[in-house]
Amino acid sequence: MGFGEEDPAASRSNMLLGVKLGILSEVMLFGALFAAYFVIRSESGGWPPEGHERPELLLPGLNTLLLVSSSVTMQWAVRAIGRGEVATMRRALRVTLLLGSIFILVQGYEFATNGFGLDAGVFGSTFYTLTGFHGAHVLAGLGFIAIVATRARHGLISAEHHTAVEAASYYWHFVDVVWVILFSTLYVL
Amino acid sequence: MLRAVLGAATGIAVGVGSLTLARGAGLIIDDGQVLGLAYLLAVIGFLFGIGAFRFWVTWAAGRQVDPAEEHAAHGTAGDWRRYFRFTTDHKVIGVQYLVTAFLLFLIAGSFAMLMRFELAQPGLVLGKEAYNTVMSTHGAMMITVALISIIGGLGNYLVPIMIGARDMAFPKTNALSYWLLPLPILLVAINPLLGGFDSGWTAYPPLSQQANLGQQAYLMAFVTVGISSIISAINFLVTVFRMRAPGMSLMRMPIFVWALTVTATLALIATSVVAAAFTMLLFDRVLGTSFFRPSRGGDVILFEHLFWFYSHPAVYIMGLPGLGAILEVVPVFARKPLFAYPLAVLSFISIGVLSFMVWAHHMFVSGMAEFFHIPIMLTTELISVPTGIVFLSALGTIWMGKLHFKTPMLWVFGFIWAFLIGGITGVYLADVPTDITLSDTYFVVAHFHYTIVGGTIFGLFAGTYYWYPKITGRMYSERLGKLHFWWFTLAFNATFLPMFWLGIEGMRRRVADYPSQFGGLNLWISFAAFNIFLSVAVFVFNMVWSWRRGPRAAPNPWRAHTLEWQISSPPPIQNFDHIPMVSAGPYEYGGGVGVPAEGRAAQ
Amino acid sequence: MTSPRRHLWIAAAAWAVLSIVGIVLVAGIQIIPVIASREAVIENSAFVLLTIVSVPVLMFVVVGLAYSALRFRANGDETDGPPVHGSRGFQSIWLGVSFALVIGLFGYGAVGLIDIRGAQSSDFEVQVRSEQWAWHFEYPDAGVVSKELHIPLGERVHLVINSDDVIHSFWVPAFGVKQDAVPGRPTQIYLTATVEGTYPGLCAELCGFGHTDMHLTVVVSGRAALESWLSQQPKPSPQPSGSPP
Repeated sequence: MGFGEEDPAASRSNMLLGVKLGILSEVMLFGALFAAYFVIRSESGGWPPEGHERPELLLPGLNTLLLVSSSVTMQWAVRAIGRGEVATMRRALRVTLLLGSIFILVQGYEFATNGFGLDAGVFGSTFYTLTGFHGAHVLAGLGFIAIVATRARHGLISAEHHTAVEAASYYWHFVDVVWVILFSTLYVL
Repeated sequence: MLRAVLGAATGIAVGVGSLTLARGAGLIIDDGQVLGLAYLLAVIGFLFGIGAFRFWVTWAAGRQVDPAEEHAAHGTAGDWRRYFRFTTDHKVIGVQYLVTAFLLFLIAGSFAMLMRFELAQPGLVLGKEAYNTVMSTHGAMMITVALISIIGGLGNYLVPIMIGARDMAFPKTNALSYWLLPLPILLVAINPLLGGFDSGWTAYPPLSQQANLGQQAYLMAFVTVGISSIISAINFLVTVFRMRAPGMSLMRMPIFVWALTVTATLALIATSVVAAAFTMLLFDRVLGTSFFRPSRGGDVILFEHLFWFYSHPAVYIMGLPGLGAILEVVPVFARKPLFAYPLAVLSFISIGVLSFMVWAHHMFVSGMAEFFHIPIMLTTELISVPTGIVFLSALGTIWMGKLHFKTPMLWVFGFIWAFLIGGITGVYLADVPTDITLSDTYFVVAHFHYTIVGGTIFGLFAGTYYWYPKITGRMYSERLGKLHFWWFTLAFNATFLPMFWLGIEGMRRRVADYPSQFGGLNLWISFAAFNIFLSVAVFVFNMVWSWRRGPRAAPNPWRAHTLEWQISSPPPIQNFDHIPMVSAGPYEYGGGVGVPAEGRAAQ
Repeated sequence: MTSPRRHLWIAAAAWAVLSIVGIVLVAGIQIIPVIASREAVIENSAFVLLTIVSVPVLMFVVVGLAYSALRFRANGDETDGPPVHGSRGFQSIWLGVSFALVIGLFGYGAVGLIDIRGAQSSDFEVQVRSEQWAWHFEYPDAGVVSKELHIPLGERVHLVINSDDVIHSFWVPAFGVKQDAVPGRPTQIYLTATVEGTYPGLCAELCGFGHTDMHLTVVVSGRAALESWLSQQPKPSPQPSGSPP
């Protein structure tokens, strides 16, 4: 990354620290959105407000399982490359990509069939803004993993050079945790 | 540059074109949505055009980045074109930030002149609508100047050198954070063409929901600047924590680096909160949500909380770099070690922590929850303890020193006076009983100009004069520098001191007209403000002329001990031939450990 | 050569003299230009107290700066000053004094705040309604709506403040009260007017292009005069309270 003498170990730890700090700023982003959600929710008499219904739990529940298992497969990829098993890692990445993509498709289907829109008062506003922001992060995470997979196909990832896999996994786990919180507050509680 | 402009134009064309087509197809699309998409695509097009993504695209496609190309992006010494390109050298980026900030300072200053033109006499000249737009644009631009000038300009240039590194941790991201700025700045500058905006930089809804497209332009621009600031903060933190030269322990870091480290932490944590708030506000305007629409269950006070949760720490994001620059200059021109250095570091950190607990003091009369007043009053007054330590350090260093009144040192003295007035009057606004009568008056205007101009702009000028020989390799004109200082400082005090009085007498802020009893004082203020502007012209002339014609600067004209002065002026393209070994603290004046200036950095 | 101790004594003496002169000058002055309520009296005394405390702080720094600028010039001396990195004693005193000041001011401010905001009982209630760019005052007991605010002298008045559109702020400088009018969330203040007369008030929160001209007038009169004024006002046709007249 740098100029002049290259020190792979240093640039590796730089990148991981950078990703962690970036996630910290994302935590604050979602923190602000959740704060807005809870404030508005506490001020409305009853949640969901009259005339609104929460979406059915079945599909989002399945989606939660999908995303949680994709975190497991992502970790599997990190473990694999740590032992130098490139082929296993690529398989794990593909499974993660598949699970994440199904998640997005199901979300899209849900958005289309919910029967209420972004302009449906504060309920629609908070629901779609929170899930929408999260969906955008899932897409970004999928893009990141796809890039890692591409680089792996070109043989650029090995037991010594796998910072990108680890960075992608941090990000993916973060997206997963956000979803679990989203699911339990928006859908369940 | 040309490609970047083409890229932006393509983005706008695609954005406007596609939505016009959609409109033709019968969809209902309002102008705000067109502006939103066109702006988003323009920023992306601009960045692609400038070449911000070419390395990452190569990397993502699984190809090896050509080291020669990477080397070329760093630029070659003496090539002026690299200042107009996507250059990854932190020194180039620092100069880009600094020049951009000063240009913006001049534009925003012109807007201030328009304000003072309107306010010089009772009655209306520009008219109420134009005044509100001018006032809001002045605020929005000056906030940006204060946010980017020191950390983006001086910080980018100096932090890697001061900690003994060859560059920032992520040079390409660094360039990206700069090149994110031109379009939003342009957008704010042209907001009067979009109908202007009248909400002030605070953009409180519902006013900001009903305002013109210019309002939306401001919100989008601010979010973009916020993203740039988050990226840059990550870069600073990784650089400081991972790239220090051997021997450069945390407690040997120059105080300026410490100030920027805390600043970057604040920017990293707080900025995404305001980005979220502004995004929700944008959604309310553009996509029909109702976060801040009271008629549909939204909450207006919620916006104020989210806004100030960022914008009070933002005051320290603006102020701390200035304090750092001042404390960096003091020991050099007093020829004494920085007084109570560990305490000063601690004070920066405590300011950082406390700044997250004081936001609601902007809202004492807002109608927020009643129980909130007393704890916020306590935390706000507590923050004056660490802020006071800055005075302790500065005064303690000056006391019994051997003072050399070069231009940077004059700015230190001007700073201490101005920031002291800002600090003392801040207590009146932290105390709820007095704040009730003073909030939203000219007292507040005077107070924050004393803190932000006194803290940030005085620090910026001190730092710019101090590091000018290092950055340009030339000496500025000491005579013009002193003229600038005295003219600016006298005019500044003549402008803002009377405003305290106006506020006490009951003149509201953000009004285009006022009762005739305030006429005389306002005429005086307008006259003094015009002098501020003229004095800045002296500064601009000095900087530009000296850069071309000034005498060559020695590597260390101030006999300072920090690392940046141990290399040539201007620094070589790789900063150091060999990474230095650091063996002492940054301010060992008076031969405390017997290390002469040159011997400190064994190269 | 003046000894370090002597420097300290001279500066301390200058500081003490200037502080005392300053305190004598500011003690007891009226800072809020017109005072016509109990709340404004509390605020004015808070103002004076803060100013008294500020004087020595200001003088400390100013004397320190001025004395150094006069006496510690290098004047061509290229040697370094003494290698002093700090002084434990001085730093402790500095921290101790600033903490004590902060706690003291906080305590005083909290007492004043509770005094202003505390007692939530009233003798007279007015509903204040704001819109771009005008004020309306509704007297629920009398069923009257007016453009001017009339309140009784010496009684605790309760104002409930609403907004129909954007945020406004109700401010009467002579009463030392200011409260934002927030759409969708009524806010309230209490005040006790102490001097009869007519006072100007203004909107203190930027509310659009008409903000500059958003004024109001308050009339303070004895209870009897107020009642007779109320009875002369035209009664609006019956309609739910809070809606436009």
